[in-house]
Amino acid sequence: MSGLRFLVVQLLRFVLYAGVHVLLISRLVLFDLGWCFLYLGFLVFLPLATPMVVQLLLAFSMGLTMDIFYDTGGLHAAAAVLLGFVRPWVLRLLTPRDGYDSADTVNVHQMGWQWFSVYLTLLVLLHHAAFFLLELGSFRHLGLTLGKLLASALFTGLALLIVQLLFYPVRRGRN
Amino acid sequence: MRNLFLFLFRFRGALVFGLLEIISLYLFITNNSYQRAAFFNSANAYAGVVLAKRTQVTDYFHLNELNQQLVAENAALRQQLYPPDTVRREADSVAVPPARTDSVRRVRYRRPAARPDTLLLGQQRLPARNPSYPLIPARVINNMLRNVDNYLTLNVGSRNGVHAGQGVVGAGGVVGRVKVVTEHYATVTSLLHSKTSVASKIKRDGTFGTIRWLGDDPTHALLDNVLRETKLLPGDTIVTSGYNAVFPEGIFIGTVDSFVKEPDKNFWTVRVRLGVNFSNLTYVYVVTSRPKAERDTVEARTGLRPEGGAPR
Repeated sequence: MSGLRFLVVQLLRFVLYAGVHVLLISRLVLFDLGWCFLYLGFLVFLPLATPMVVQLLLAFSMGLTMDIFYDTGGLHAAAAVLLGFVRPWVLRLLTPRDGYDSADTVNVHQMGWQWFSVYLTLLVLLHHAAFFLLELGSFRHLGLTLGKLLASALFTGLALLIVQLLFYPVRRGRN
Repeated sequence: MRNLFLFLFRFRGALVFGLLEIISLYLFITNNSYQRAAFFNSANAYAGVVLAKRTQVTDYFHLNELNQQLVAENAALRQQLYPPDTVRREADSVAVPPARTDSVRRVRYRRPAARPDTLLLGQQRLPARNPSYPLIPARVINNMLRNVDNYLTLNVGSRNGVHAGQGVVGAGGVVGRVKVVTEHYATVTSLLHSKTSVASKIKRDGTFGTIRWLGDDPTHALLDNVLRETKLLPGDTIVTSGYNAVFPEGIFIGTVDSFVKEPDKNFWTVRVRLGVNFSNLTYVYVVTSRPKAERDTVEARTGLRPEGGAPR
């Protein structure tokens, strides 16, 4: 029962994130350097207890969906799967002193600003580094790529923070 | 056996991760190899419908700009309907600068067919009128220009007569080359792609070169394989040479912006300002070329294209 509910909720989130990203966000480029990878919100904000394999499969399907719209083959998928693989490690690294509560979710109000910003920065920077270096395939325009990386990381981070502040409950335990 | 399963189960995360990464990288690499078929792309029927819908919406926000582009192109076309009175003028034999092999440094004279009068070059007919290269008008429904490998999606497909490998031109010049076609949509490898190379020449003296894109600036490309002995001028016009039979001869690509001699190379490094503004590309034309099939066959038979060369 709870497995089915999990699946339906995640499917809805998948469609929502992918739809908003493709229809609105993907045309947005900031100063010719920064892209917004809003769809990463789907992966970053998954429940803490999501099984590893499920998480990887979700990351792969989200990445592949983006690849279809961007014509990039498997670039988004490769970076997203890496993100899905590293997320449990980052979560373990950031475990609070008394461990995670069963009701804990990735929520800026519940986990605190400090935890959330470190968590988001680590994952987004890692994903963007993998994405842009893989896209380049070499180290030719390293300065430009670094600029793209930082600008995009800032853009994505801010967008995901806004998503958190707008749509995630302030009170504990409602979601 | 049980231990094996236990082992696999214990490291299932890493195994699934490795498997998925291999699949993604395989898809990424085959997609980037320029002429290979790709399955997952935006010419796919479902993605095409979504992108077409998005274009319908976003069109309203730049209708004005779009109309201006079309008006400018109409004006250019209308201009061709009224030929200036010099158009029937035949070029006499004209003085051409000495060729680079000419040790005597004397002025040689040639028949106009070999080297046209530079004064008449500006009034050349648009090569798009060439009956062996009919044009298919198309609308760009997806476009990108800031990636290392850029692609476009067009709203025409095999039903309109588009095939993979055909060239795409815009009002401003060469745009790219069709990569994948489905019934109603086509994906185009943009000129702004790391694997694109367009056979081109300098219009003034007919020197051949290759246009490539280096991956940083969407308004400039690099003209390669121009020998160091060639005399270049800033502002020289670069056009297609028609050698690879994707584009007809003489389609505008861009103008020479700057050029440097690099100490360790035999060729000029020429920066070319591209004629097409990729950031507001809306209407383009797919160039179909009829004689290509036959030409491919004869070139394959001679052994010029061992593995079948051009994509079908």
